[in-house]
Amino acid sequence: MLRLFILSISVLCSLPLCAHTWPSEQWSQALAPASPAVAALERYAFVERDDTARQGVRTDALLVIRDGEIVYERYAGPGAVDRVHATWSISKSLLATVLGVAYGEGRFALQDAAADYFQPLDQHRDIRVQDLLHWASGLDWQEDYEYAPLNSSVVAMLYTRGHRDMASYAASHRRAHAPGEHFRYSSGDSNLLAAALRNMVGLHEYPDYPWQALFTPLGIDNAVWETDASGTFVASSYAYLTARDLARVGLLMQRDGQWRGRQLLPQAWVAFNRTPFVPSQDVPGEPAAGGHWWLNSNGAWPHAPLSTMAALGHWGQALYVLPEQRLVVVRYADDRDGSFSHDALLQRVLAAFTEAGGQ
Amino acid sequence: MTAAQRAWAALSLVASLAAATWLWNERTQLLAFPDILSAYSAKEYCSCRYVMQNSVGYCQSYIKQYLPLSSLSEDPGQRRVLASGLGRSNTAAWVGPRQGCRLIPGSDG
Repeated sequence: MLRLFILSISVLCSLPLCAHTWPSEQWSQALAPASPAVAALERYAFVERDDTARQGVRTDALLVIRDGEIVYERYAGPGAVDRVHATWSISKSLLATVLGVAYGEGRFALQDAAADYFQPLDQHRDIRVQDLLHWASGLDWQEDYEYAPLNSSVVAMLYTRGHRDMASYAASHRRAHAPGEHFRYSSGDSNLLAAALRNMVGLHEYPDYPWQALFTPLGIDNAVWETDASGTFVASSYAYLTARDLARVGLLMQRDGQWRGRQLLPQAWVAFNRTPFVPSQDVPGEPAAGGHWWLNSNGAWPHAPLSTMAALGHWGQALYVLPEQRLVVVRYADDRDGSFSHDALLQRVLAAFTEAGGQ
Repeated sequence: MTAAQRAWAALSLVASLAAATWLWNERTQLLAFPDILSAYSAKEYCSCRYVMQNSVGYCQSYIKQYLPLSSLSEDPGQRRVLASGLGRSNTAAWVGPRQGCRLIPGSDG
């Protein structure tokens, strides 16, 4: 009888279900004890806040998941465990993850013309879905906003001429390059994908699709995703999640698109996300663009492993996935100057929560 | 007119033409520009208050820009925010628990 029991346990444990810890309604916690390395991380991430001058590193939330369990969690300022936070451009990678589910359902192919799913792109029929995912539509888009608000496409899209129908506004841009040949980071490309999703999944399913495809299966029940007046999800900027819920998306990516024994994202899709877009040229200090995710494949963050992938947003928002270290890190913030460094944070996280880091 | 005066007049004409051309080319951007401040403030304040559930004081500081608003008012019952600045006004409203806030078309300018 005992042998049978041991045998059945070992059979069960050969399945991914047993090998991994997964969050259910709640995350399991295995909080790391205080250590000099954790103290050093906190000295970096949680310096005394200057909310009046809005200067320096201002972390609202820092959550570290190791092997599917919370090992570190702290909130400051407006951050709180049960409160959703702006993710800004992390939304772009969230949309890519939603698209991954649609891809697994056979709703589109990467080589399809984006115009097949979004008619205003008819004048740019050679833009493929994969070009939008690489931020390589070739459209003449101006992403800068802090320094050139007059000509910023993104400011016009979010707040003035484009806000009613952001994807149509993006589609109205003229061509600067042939599609698929030139990386130019563009919030317009992300919103074109969000509009294309509508015809990929159908008008009826679209408003609920991010929930049906991704949030509900992952146990995320507190997500907000704002739309423009035409009903298109603002994939460039406006998804809001709790830190713990965003970490679920990170764990999905860390585990190659698998969730509780189910292949929610095809492995080929995750491989596409993790493949650097070759024509893009490295910007010093900036990670490489993959399929709507950022990759440290170019060593832009020298203290982090080359396999690190990340979703990054305005004012310091970040979701880092370190598959080899089995770590997921969520950071919410309100950094208004350039003092925060992804590399400096990851260096301290690795020191505090990996064996190689010297814990 | 001396030669120097003629040269100066010609230069002024060229400069004025260049400025006029620039204004014409950038007219859509220039006309939309004053809306940025109030539209940004209305939208992001609405999301700060009714999506992220932060306090009035925090959200006022969160949206603060170099240029001051002339007014910012909210109707917590309707979850609507009206912001005015640079001679323009914009309204944002909370539309639902999943959809959060958005700018209300037609409220600008």
